[in-house]
Amino acid sequence: MTPSPDIDVAIAGAGVIGASTAWHLAQAGLRVAIIDAEGPAAAASGASDGAVSVASKKPGVMARLASASLAHTATLAKGGPLSRAFRRRPSFLFGQGPEEAAALDALAAKLAQIGGPVSVENDGGAALLPGCGMGVDRIVRLMGEGHMPGHKAVHGYLASAGDRVQRIWPARLKGHEADATGVTLDLGMSQLRAGFLIVAAGLGAGELWPQLPLIPRAGQLIVTDSGPAGVLPGALTAAAYLLAKTRDGAPPPRPPVVIDPLSTGQYLVGSTREAHGDPRLNDFATIAALMERAAAVWPPLLGRRIIRIFTGVRAAVADGLPVFGTLPDSPRVLLATGFEGDGICLSALIGREAARIACGDGVTAGLEADLAALSPTRFTKHARWGAA
Amino acid sequence: MTGQVVLVVGAGLAGLGAAVELVRAGQRVTVVDQTQAAGGAIHRQPLPGRPSIARTAEHRRWQSLMAEVRAAGIEIRTETRFGGIDSTGEVLLTGAAPGFLRPKALVLATGAREAVQPRPGWTLPGVMTVGAIQTYLKTQAAPPLGRIALAGSGPLLLAAAAQLCALGRPPVAVIEAGRPFAHPLAALRLPPGYLAEAAAYMRRLVVARVLILTASHVTRISEDAAGLTVEIERGARRRRLACDLVGLHDGIRPNDAGLPDIAPIPVVRLGDCREALGARAALADGRNGGRRLAAQLSGTLAPALSQELQRQRRAQGLLARIYANDGADRLATLPGDTVLCRCEMRTLDDLRALGPAPTDRMLRLDGRFSMGPCQGRFCAEWVQRLAGRSGPARRIGAARYPAAPITVADLLAAQKSREGESP
Ligand SMILES: Cc1cc2nc3c(=O)[nH]c(=O)nc-3n(C[C@H](O)[C@H](O)[C@H](O)COP(=O)(O)OP(=O)(O)OC[C@H]3O[C@@H](n4cnc5c(N)ncnc54)[C@H](O)[C@@H]3O)c2cc1C
Repeated sequence: MTPSPDIDVAIAGAGVIGASTAWHLAQAGLRVAIIDAEGPAAAASGASDGAVSVASKKPGVMARLASASLAHTATLAKGGPLSRAFRRRPSFLFGQGPEEAAALDALAAKLAQIGGPVSVENDGGAALLPGCGMGVDRIVRLMGEGHMPGHKAVHGYLASAGDRVQRIWPARLKGHEADATGVTLDLGMSQLRAGFLIVAAGLGAGELWPQLPLIPRAGQLIVTDSGPAGVLPGALTAAAYLLAKTRDGAPPPRPPVVIDPLSTGQYLVGSTREAHGDPRLNDFATIAALMERAAAVWPPLLGRRIIRIFTGVRAAVADGLPVFGTLPDSPRVLLATGFEGDGICLSALIGREAARIACGDGVTAGLEADLAALSPTRFTKHARWGAA
Repeated sequence: MTGQVVLVVGAGLAGLGAAVELVRAGQRVTVVDQTQAAGGAIHRQPLPGRPSIARTAEHRRWQSLMAEVRAAGIEIRTETRFGGIDSTGEVLLTGAAPGFLRPKALVLATGAREAVQPRPGWTLPGVMTVGAIQTYLKTQAAPPLGRIALAGSGPLLLAAAAQLCALGRPPVAVIEAGRPFAHPLAALRLPPGYLAEAAAYMRRLVVARVLILTASHVTRISEDAAGLTVEIERGARRRRLACDLVGLHDGIRPNDAGLPDIAPIPVVRLGDCREALGARAALADGRNGGRRLAAQLSGTLAPALSQELQRQRRAQGLLARIYANDGADRLATLPGDTVLCRCEMRTLDDLRALGPAPTDRMLRLDGRFSMGPCQGRFCAEWVQRLAGRSGPARRIGAARYPAAPITVADLLAAQKSREGESP
C-alpha cells in the first residue's frame, strides 16, 4: 500500500529555479513544499551576477529560450513576484582587437535573427558611453535586457507565494521512490509523500544521479564599496565574455570582464569560468587581471575600494545545454538543473514550464522543440533513472 | 613555488616575539604592520616629536624586545597592510610598498579588536571605542577635547580613565556594567601584577574624583546643539549625563582577519589574534608560537606549549567573573530602530523582518547584514545572537577576502610591481 500524498508537488532546491517553480505551482492552486539542504539561495543563485541577457546566449535553443524568459520575467516584474527584483537597463558590450570585433559582429547577427525583444540600439566607438576609458575600440549598446540578482528573485518568489508554499529547511533529499500514484521522498530523518517531484538542486542533482554529466564551473566576483549610483547606466561587458561562453574550453583573448552597476551604488565585477567547484578558492592574480581591464575601460572604478571577493559555482553540463524534463522511466519526477551561467535569466520560463508539466498541462505551445532538446533522455542509453 | 621568508603580520608583542624566535632558529623573516611604527595595541608609539605616556615597566619591556629585534636584524615594513593570502599562497600587500609575496609560512599576529554592543545612538559622531581614545592618547600624548564619558565593561575602562586623568582631563564618568568591586575574593586570586596595576589606576581616579558607576548601563546616546547626552540605567534608577565624547567598550575579541583557511602554506595565529588573553600572554604566545613554527618548518621536534598561556587564561577567566554582567541580555529589549550594522545602517527591525530562524544566507542576502566594508566584523556577533543562534558565532556565513577593504588603485599598483619580475 502506498500512502496518499501529503502534498501535490515537492521541489528539492530553493535556488532561483526551485523558487520560480514553487511560485508558479502555488499560482495554479497546488499544495507545494520546497525543500533545501541549507536554505533559500544557498548555492549558485546566491553567488551570481544576475544579467537577464539574450546577448550572451549561444545562438539557437538557448538564445530563443532566453528571449522568451526575458519576456516572461518582465511580465512578472509588473506588480508581480519580481517587481522588486528585476530591473530593465541598457547593456553595453565592448571590444578591442579583431577577435572581439568579430564576436560583436556575430552578436548583432544573432539578435537580428531572433527579432526582439533585445535589439542593437547603437553601434559605434567609445564615444557611445561617456566616461569610458582606453582599451575600447567599439561599443554596442543594447536595449531590452535587464538585471535581477538571484537572491532577490528567490526572495520575491517565496515572499509572494507566502504560506501557500511550505518551506522545509535544512533538509536534504537523499533519494526517492516513485510509483504509479506518487513519489516518496527520503529526507534522512523523515519521509514525505508527494504526487510529483521536481529536482532543482543545481550541482546537488549530480549526487542523486551520478550518471548526469554535471561539472562545476567556478567564477570569481569582486564587489566594491558604494558610490553615486547611475553613473554607469547598465552592464558593461567585454566581447571576450561572449567568446568565453560560446567557444567552450578555449581561453578568451582578453580577460572576459563584466562590470555591473548594482542598485546599491556598488559595482560587481566578474568573472571567470574555472574547472572546479570549491567556493573558497580565490586568487589575486585572476582578480587583479580582471580589475586591470575593468578599470582601464571604466576608470571611475579607480576611486573605489574592493570590499569583497568571492567565488560562485555554477552547475554546467558536458554538452553545454541545461537538463530539463521528466525522467524516462518515472514521469512523476522532473529534473531541472545544469543552467550554468544562465539560470537567473531562464528561471522565469523554466519555473512556468515545470509547473505546467507537473499540472499535466504540457509545455507552452511553440516551446516544445526547444525544451525537448534539454530532456535528460539524451543521457539515457542504458542508465536506470527511477530510484536515485 | 614558495619563497624563502616567513611573513609576520603585526608588529606587536606576539608578532615580534615570534619574529625574534624564528630568526634565532635560522629562518628569514619579514614583519609588516599597517601603522606608522611597531608597537601594536599595548605599545602604540607616540607620533614623531611627541613624548611617550607609557608606564616605566611597559616601556622597559618594549625596549628590551626591540633590542632583540634589532640584534636579529629583522626588517619591519610599516604602513604596509596585509590584504590577505589567497588559495595559491600569494599574499597581497598594500600601502607604502604595494606588491605580492609568496612566503613559506604566515604568522597572523593582528591582535584584538573591541566589541561594541549596539545601543540607540552608538553610531553618532563623537561616539567611538575606548580603544580608539586610548590610541589617540598614546600617539598624541594629549587628551581629546571636551567632556568624555567611558561606558561598557572591562578593565580597559579603568585603564583609559586613569590615562585621561594623568593627562589632565579626567572623564566625567566611568559607567561599568559589571560590579568589579563586589568580587574581592576572585580579585585576590589574580596574578599580583594585575592587582598592582588596578590599584594604581584606582588611585588616580579617586584623586581626580571621577564618578564611577557600576552595575550601570548606557541605554541611549542622543545629540543636541550642546553635545551628547547619555542615558544611564542602574536597576530602577535612571540618570542623564552631558558630555562631548563617549567611549564604548564591551570587551575584546580576536582580530582574526576572517580569511578562509585554505592557504597551501602553514598559517598560524598568535597572541590576541588567536585568543584574546592580553599583553602578558601575547609575548609568551608569540615566542612559543615562533619556536613551534620554526620546528615545523625544519622538521624538528616542537617545544611544549607555553605555561604562561595557561596562567593568563586562568587570569582572564577570573576577570570575566569579576566583570560578569547582564549587558548582552539587553540586546533583546533594544528598540526596533536601533542600528545593528553601521556600514549599511541596518536595524533590528530589518533583522526581525526576515522572520524566525533566518539562515546565514538570508541574513546576508536578504537582510544585508555583514555585507558592508567591515564584512560583519562589528555586527555579526550581535546579529547572530539576536537571530537566536547559540554559541559565539563571530561571523555570518563563510569568511571572504579581502582581510580589509583595499582600494582598486592599490590592487593595480601591486599588480604593476609584477612587471619586470623574473618569471
Ligand atoms: C559567478 C556567477 C555569475 C553568474 N551570472 C549569471 C548571470 O549574469 N545571469 C544568469 O542568468 N545566471 C548567472 N549565473 C548562473 C546562475 O546563478 C545559476 O544558473 C542559477 O542560480 C541556478 O539556479 P538553480 O536554482 O538551478 O541552482 P542553485 O541556485 O545552485 O540552487 C540549488 C539549491 O539546491 C539545494 N540542494 C542541493 N542538493 C540538494 C538536495 N539533495 N536536497 C535538497 N536541496 C538540495 C542547494 O542547497 C541550493 O539551494 C551566474 C553564476 C555564477 C556562479
